[in-house]
Amino acid sequence: MSVLSKVGKRILRTLIFHEPTLEKTYILEESEKQDVFGEGPKTDSKNKTDPGDNTNQGSKAGTADKTGQGKANNTDPGKKPGSVNETGEGNGRGSEKNREENDNSKQNEEGSPGKVRKILKPIPVGVDDLSKDGNDSGKNKGGQNGEDSKNKKETQNEDSQNEEDSQSEEESEISTDIKENLEYMKNAYSIPLSGDVVIREFDITIGEKNIEAFVIFIDGLIDSTVLNHFVLEPLMLLSNLDIKYVQKDIKTIILKQLLPYNQVKTVSFYKEVLENVNFGSCALFVDGLNVVFTADVKGWEHRGVERPNTELVIRGPQEGFNEVLRANTALIRKIVLNENLIVENLKVGRRSRTPCALLYIRDIANKTLVDEVRRRIKSLDIDSITDSGELEQFLEDNTFLPAPQILATERPDRVASMLEEGKVAIVMQGSPFVLVMPTTISTLVQSPEDTYMRFPGGNLFRIVRFLGIFVALLLPGLYVAITNYHQEMIPTDLVLAISAARERVPFPSVLEILIMEISFELIREAGIRIPGPIGPTLGIIGALILGQAAVAANIVSPILIIVVAVTGIGSFAIPNFSLALSLRIVRFAYIALGAVAGFLGITTGIFIQGIIYAKAKSFGVPFLTPFGPKTAGAAQDDFLNLPIWKREERPDYLNTGKRRKQDSISRKWIVREKGSDES
Amino acid sequence: MKRISAAVLLTVFTVLLLTGCYDGREVDDLAYVAAIGLDKGVTNKLKLTLVFAVPSATGGSSENGGGSGEKTSSILTLETPSIMAGLSLANNVVSRQVSIAHAKVIVFSSELAREGISNYINAFNRLRELKPTINMAVARGSAEEYLKSIKPSMESSVTKYFELIYRTYKYTGFTANTSYFKFYKYAKSTFIQPVATLAGITKNESSADFATESSIVRRNSGFPLEGEFKAGEIPRAGDIKADIMGLAVFSGDRMVGELDGEDTAYYLMLRGEFFQSTITHVDPINKDNVVLLLIKQSRNPVHRVELSGGKPVISSKISLEGDIQTIQSEINYESPELLAILEKSVEDFIRKGMEELLQKTAEEYNTDIIGYGAVAKRKFATWQQWLDFDWHKRYPMAEFHVEVDLKIRRPGLLIRTMPIISSKKGSV
Amino acid sequence: MKAKITFGIWEAIMMLLNTICVPLLLGFPRLMIETGGTAGWIIPIYITVLAVLFFTVIQRLYRNFEGKDIIDIAEIALGRIGRIVTGILLMLYIVFLVTITLREFTEDMKVIALINSPISFVMMFFIAAMVFGCYFGIEPLVRFSSVIVPIIALGFLFIVFGVAGNYDINHLFPILGNGPRAIFIDGFFLVSYFSPLVLLYLIAPFVRTHKIMKITGYTTILLSSIFFTLGTLCYLLVYPYPISIENFLPIYQLARVMEYGRFFQRIESVFVLIWAASAMSMLSIGFYFVVYIFRKTFELDYRRPMIWSFIIIIFTLSLFPPNLMTVLELDKMYYSKVTWIISLCYPILILLIARLRSRNPEKEAKTR
Repeated sequence: MSVLSKVGKRILRTLIFHEPTLEKTYILEESEKQDVFGEGPKTDSKNKTDPGDNTNQGSKAGTADKTGQGKANNTDPGKKPGSVNETGEGNGRGSEKNREENDNSKQNEEGSPGKVRKILKPIPVGVDDLSKDGNDSGKNKGGQNGEDSKNKKETQNEDSQNEEDSQSEEESEISTDIKENLEYMKNAYSIPLSGDVVIREFDITIGEKNIEAFVIFIDGLIDSTVLNHFVLEPLMLLSNLDIKYVQKDIKTIILKQLLPYNQVKTVSFYKEVLENVNFGSCALFVDGLNVVFTADVKGWEHRGVERPNTELVIRGPQEGFNEVLRANTALIRKIVLNENLIVENLKVGRRSRTPCALLYIRDIANKTLVDEVRRRIKSLDIDSITDSGELEQFLEDNTFLPAPQILATERPDRVASMLEEGKVAIVMQGSPFVLVMPTTISTLVQSPEDTYMRFPGGNLFRIVRFLGIFVALLLPGLYVAITNYHQEMIPTDLVLAISAARERVPFPSVLEILIMEISFELIREAGIRIPGPIGPTLGIIGALILGQAAVAANIVSPILIIVVAVTGIGSFAIPNFSLALSLRIVRFAYIALGAVAGFLGITTGIFIQGIIYAKAKSFGVPFLTPFGPKTAGAAQDDFLNLPIWKREERPDYLNTGKRRKQDSISRKWIVREKGSDES
Repeated sequence: MKRISAAVLLTVFTVLLLTGCYDGREVDDLAYVAAIGLDKGVTNKLKLTLVFAVPSATGGSSENGGGSGEKTSSILTLETPSIMAGLSLANNVVSRQVSIAHAKVIVFSSELAREGISNYINAFNRLRELKPTINMAVARGSAEEYLKSIKPSMESSVTKYFELIYRTYKYTGFTANTSYFKFYKYAKSTFIQPVATLAGITKNESSADFATESSIVRRNSGFPLEGEFKAGEIPRAGDIKADIMGLAVFSGDRMVGELDGEDTAYYLMLRGEFFQSTITHVDPINKDNVVLLLIKQSRNPVHRVELSGGKPVISSKISLEGDIQTIQSEINYESPELLAILEKSVEDFIRKGMEELLQKTAEEYNTDIIGYGAVAKRKFATWQQWLDFDWHKRYPMAEFHVEVDLKIRRPGLLIRTMPIISSKKGSV
Repeated sequence: MKAKITFGIWEAIMMLLNTICVPLLLGFPRLMIETGGTAGWIIPIYITVLAVLFFTVIQRLYRNFEGKDIIDIAEIALGRIGRIVTGILLMLYIVFLVTITLREFTEDMKVIALINSPISFVMMFFIAAMVFGCYFGIEPLVRFSSVIVPIIALGFLFIVFGVAGNYDINHLFPILGNGPRAIFIDGFFLVSYFSPLVLLYLIAPFVRTHKIMKITGYTTILLSSIFFTLGTLCYLLVYPYPISIENFLPIYQLARVMEYGRFFQRIESVFVLIWAASAMSMLSIGFYFVVYIFRKTFELDYRRPMIWSFIIIIFTLSLFPPNLMTVLELDKMYYSKVTWIISLCYPILILLIARLRSRNPEKEAKTR
């Protein structure tokens, strides 16, 4: 009994008073630090986002491994491949290297403080979280140091993590003996148990030498034609040709002259090889080399770029994301068209190593926000992950808040416009939903169409949507409250009509509405799960249950059908499915409160829900921003849209690098010469 | 600690949810009173008549053919010491809980009204359920009879009948907006006195009952104009027995007199609450015919009160505008010269009517229903001075000067009327 | 260290505005008219002037104590004893304020909506809101205030202007009502209605600078003055003097007479939403400060464990008066007549002493 109650209490506690794990607001502290100390402290964060550091820019397909040594090895385009062998002697070495690089870039940055200054904004008054007084600088300094050491600790942690991993076989280095390698790979993939892994052995002739080699790839993940023409053919046929200038090194010859394929990497650890092969590369093992060439020849079957399924617009781009990471990042890049868009590669999952991409615009997004997102992703200690829906739950601040704190969208244009605002996006391999953060309540009720449509139409959409939210959340509760407690406010004719309609209904109106709401939820759920061919039958059954039969059988009154139907329609008008879903849940609480104490109960519900919302944060940004806390220039497009030429600033709460989106007179043609008053 | 507090809170909430619903009442658990009638009781102080709206007849679900022939209302009369006691007695008769939240009218019998209704007025104000804007009416005769005689022919619901009929003043000018809220406010006021709508029942069973003896001619036009009736006096017959017309004049909580339709129109004009009304005016040139004008109030009335030696001298200026609706005599009143004659004649007529009304309220009824006291109040600096002046005592001495300014704005569709040519006149 | 609580000027204004203006939804207009008669609407203007004067003195004195709240200042002035005495005094005041308001609003709800429910049941909803609000802390409370208070204000304006059809300008005459003596001498004590301004001295560290505090103070006084005056004026315009002092809930009575055609009648119940929201906001903020002051005065580490003990105290206290009339009398006798001494005079005293005590170091700091 006591154990039970303890568990129960704990559950209840988490349900009610769930505190976000993130007590402090990182954005605030970081930006403040930057503000106070100028260049010193920020280098840490700056470093991580430096594009020279780790950018593949898509040239190396999604495999820029950044953990430990891999980063130092071959993701840096500025380094010669020849230096590959030097690194990777040990984990400690690699991380040391990292640190050195950090120092370098620190110096670089100190060279250009002006630019840095520009990015760091003075803190606006009003956003409490982003603003803090810098009075007690001494204390801050202490905190800063602590932070630094924490960072170091973090890297160490990472290293020790790697060490842990290296106990498993995958971490070991590649042998120079091809037999050993072949054996290793066969073991790793359990060949011949595993049927789709193909190993093709052949010889490469360089000069007079015949060198044994093999490629390993997974059938179905790769594009056979590409593999044949650009990997196997040159190696097996062209290697026999005379080569004008002969390199000394076999490795260099293969890499620089024999492999005409555009994306080839050299890796020196089995773990990496396996990772690459698992993600659709082919790995070329050559006898006598302790490195492996992996060519990204992936060409698996996937869905094309189609119209988005959930966020439809009438006016605007009709492309939606699909399940392929690179296709998705390309779709975004296609819209942003700016070199400052950073696509940072991250991996999630100890076993699955699912590739993800962290997207932001370097000179707009707040550094500390980017760091925080990166920190959260990197800290995930999980085996595998399937969809960005799971990732969202791992990253969000508050699990029990009845509203999403990260936006999931299927639309590249939406992601692009949010990146331009200064937000951060995460694309995940295998998920057509891209996560955008931070997300406040106003983002959730926006649709991309609001800005594509002309000013009056866009605002009409907004108002209708607010109405939809109001109706979906409160209408059943209000109906119960009014009919049970405040009959006098119903117009007399209506009250008589309701009374007459309820004449033969045996249930109290609360039960009546619950019956209908639950059957409506059933129909909704069934509508999603039902196999396609028998879908239409559901509509018929639903319409019959909800519409005719329930009324005819005197189970419910016709007016209640209207209430439930309008509630349903209202919830469909909410652009964000996740928000709609959460409101659908909360709606039942309002029904209960309305039944217990009428409007007083409903107000209590609104108050408590409001407080919970006001407490919530999404990546350090209060959820109710820009309404509570009110931020400067709040009304640009958060509640209703201003005309497009008036939406001049990026959201204040994001504390972006560039505040203004457009000039105060964006339409230069409107500037008339003096004296021409007549238009 | 947190866990405990959360658990306690949750328990409290669960308990609340389980024990709540103290006040919850289903819509169909209530019996909606549409009208309340108050008469002097025989066995007790009060005879209370309640008219219930019957939902199944009025709301009518479509399957059952929506209440054709069903009763739309049900009437209950009982004798009780007070209104609240009566309502709780009524609960023993009516199966549902009696709710007066949707009551539309309170009807007092004139007998009760003349004795004073302060008890009931005060009782109503304490009730949250009752709508403050409910209409107040005084039935000439018995309130019970009046309510019984109401058989709405147009509406399926008796509440709608009450709502609509007490709004007719907006286009007739023969009754006024006499809400309970206003009545209460004025009855307790030091500068104005209340009125209530006058309601009645016709005695005529059919048109054969019309008799010239019972016809009333209050003004000297030779035939009764349409405003010269009070409720129940209109010569009419048909299936609708009840009607409203005119006002009951109160002094405090006591009814002291009645106004007919025309007086009511003047009352509204003087109050500045006149919307529009058609008035019939005897043709100033051709006395056999009449001119019909649609009158509206163009500006708020301007009142002035002089207090010369404690005796109020009151002057009012009423601005009206009108449209010509009918000119029976075919005289070209649309021409500027003749229009002036017509305007002058109507102005005189209205002014005379108003002065008579005012004299009547001052001398006969001793009650300031127009609210001149509000204007007089401005002459005083503090409340105490105003109380010492005692307006209600001084009003009967008042002297009245009324000025009426009528502008006829437009003549309808015609700008002149050509005479009808008949061969009998022989002018080919 | 826990992240420091800060909030912006808008949040502070909205929070204080709601806290000050809550009596408006209860008996404020009635009390004004009881005192001033037909000139009742002048008193809010008059007490605004008084409040501005008081506040000017206080904010002048406050200049040297930027970022410190009144309890810290009391410690500067009178040492530990001063701190504890001030803390207890303020706490008692806010407990009184919260208790009275809680009871009045509960009775209010009981009268206008939940007639048959037991009072403890109705009160439980407010208690729940207070516990939740206090548990989550001041930041969510002020943030939520900044969202909800404009809506409440709009609803209030909708009531007072919605009844415009019933206005009668003659109700304002005789212009001096019960006479200048009643307005200016009896009315003086009504400046107590601005006493929740004491919260501003408590949130001084949260709003950071003296300048923000100054702007917040003046704006709050002026805004609440506008609402006070508007409420009283419109109530008087609809209900003439002798009747206007009959009603327990003046603004509710205004809402009752609102009528638009046959369909929009009796919409006063909708305003239950506004009343309850305003009350819950105010009560939870008040309750938060009770606990906050206690923690601060006795330098405790945690606030949340005290919530339950204090809520039980307040719940019990608010059920103490036997009936509504006693509560109204208490309100009239003490809350609206006496509290100005604690909230407006006492801070001046403390600030003066603190200033005298700390004059020398201040000067040194300036010359340095």
